[in-house]
Amino acid sequence: MNRRAIVSVLVLLICAPPQPAQAYLKFGVTVGDQRVTLKWKPGPVRYFIFDSSVPGVTSPDLQAAVARAFATWQAVPTSSIAYQFGGLTSAQPGDDDGTSTIGFENYPDLDGVLASTSFVVDDATGELIESDIFFNASYPWSVAANGEPGKFDLESVALHEIGHFSGLGHSALGETSLSASGGRAVIGAEAVMFPIAYAPGSIVSRTLKADDIAGISDLYPDGDYATAEGSLSGRVFKNGHPFFGAHVVAFDLRTKTMVAGFSLTDQGQFSIGGLSPGLHVIRVEPLDDANVDSFFDQSVNPVDVDFQVTFDGVLVVVPRGGDSGQVLVTVQNK
Amino acid sequence: MRTLLICCLLTASVIHAGATVLVPTDLTGLSHDALAIVRGRVASVDARWTADHRTIETIVTLEAESYLKGALGETVQFRVPGGVLGRYRSIVVGAPAFAVDQHVVVFLGARGPSVPFVVGFSQGVFRMVRSTDSARWLVTPPTDLRPATGTVPIIRGDPSRRPLTLDDFEQRVRSLVGSQR
Repeated sequence: MNRRAIVSVLVLLICAPPQPAQAYLKFGVTVGDQRVTLKWKPGPVRYFIFDSSVPGVTSPDLQAAVARAFATWQAVPTSSIAYQFGGLTSAQPGDDDGTSTIGFENYPDLDGVLASTSFVVDDATGELIESDIFFNASYPWSVAANGEPGKFDLESVALHEIGHFSGLGHSALGETSLSASGGRAVIGAEAVMFPIAYAPGSIVSRTLKADDIAGISDLYPDGDYATAEGSLSGRVFKNGHPFFGAHVVAFDLRTKTMVAGFSLTDQGQFSIGGLSPGLHVIRVEPLDDANVDSFFDQSVNPVDVDFQVTFDGVLVVVPRGGDSGQVLVTVQNK
Repeated sequence: MRTLLICCLLTASVIHAGATVLVPTDLTGLSHDALAIVRGRVASVDARWTADHRTIETIVTLEAESYLKGALGETVQFRVPGGVLGRYRSIVVGAPAFAVDQHVVVFLGARGPSVPFVVGFSQGVFRMVRSTDSARWLVTPPTDLRPATGTVPIIRGDPSRRPLTLDDFEQRVRSLVGSQR
């Protein structure tokens, strides 16, 4: 570490007031003048399986694959979220019946959508009443232990949707490619919550990544999360002005993992929680390779994607149980 | 279901939200799959219950300024999941949202005699923004044209991927549409 970095680290350590983390994309509702994060009340979240099947996947197969995905989220040691299977039902996902239902449905109109999660929320209180997940029966599905060529892995997609079901939005920690023969493909993703599916046959998205774990722990903190982890916060500027929608990635030099968030106010503020204490590198990048609508409501918040990728010039220390202090990052026009 | 909905109306306003896993596509795929590609101004955004009354959808009415493929008239309507209806709000994360007076290029599909939908969910919407000097419309497609051979990574922040002028974007799309004929 050079002298400038050391000085910067010291300054950041001194200026480290605790910050409310607003990392990841979390769903929320506005109640009065308060923003309420969408999350379940303490206690097991009960779900039902719509008694449905598709070629190659029976109703018990569906039940088992979904249960494995729920178990994966529930196993995160720094999160208190828990789920409970309520039984099979004839009610379909999307029925506003007060129960959370998961199953296959045929939605040919939802072209390009493998699965979707919906919520019913009491807007007066912000209370989450129910959440449903449907898997698009128009696509080929598999529950084979090692995946099947040409079929999407149900457990992987269920893991993503259950992240939404639990209150997490999309993560932009992923990279895609474009081929001459057509279409985009995922090269790699550092989050199950990346919105684009791996190619059929892949099962790599059955495992949560650091970004997912930080997100679910931030929503439902448990164990030593609050005292063992830290956060990193700051603001992003371009042409002297703060702005909304910059993707901010914190890279942990020790664990080689990434956790990311966005500048989520017109003051360019970001705050990424659930970080391992230690040195981090910050990278700020435009969401210019993604469908921004998949992350933000573009009818309300236009997102600026016309700037260069920027690495902050200093290493940032994330303290155990505290915040880094304000990190100011300036990006340049392309 | 109606009983529950009435109860909800009486006791609280309700938000409906959702999110998705997408099968990726690109400009070439979108151009191929679309029944119509239209540029225009959003004239109205009206939420309604779906025919089966299970959820809310929004009908977007676009004043068509130009068709890059097909033709559906001077005004065209299409539907997107979610919307606001009375005290109910349906938000589908991953579904595009529209506001009156926005300018967009949308790739539309349809199945049978029904209101068209956006091809590829959020992937079939390209939003037009004014250049800094307000002299031109710009569009930023997230992916570029397919390479002639092999596979190329899409690099986030690639300096060569700049917002296109509307003319350039439309020329690309027309070229892709023309090559399919």
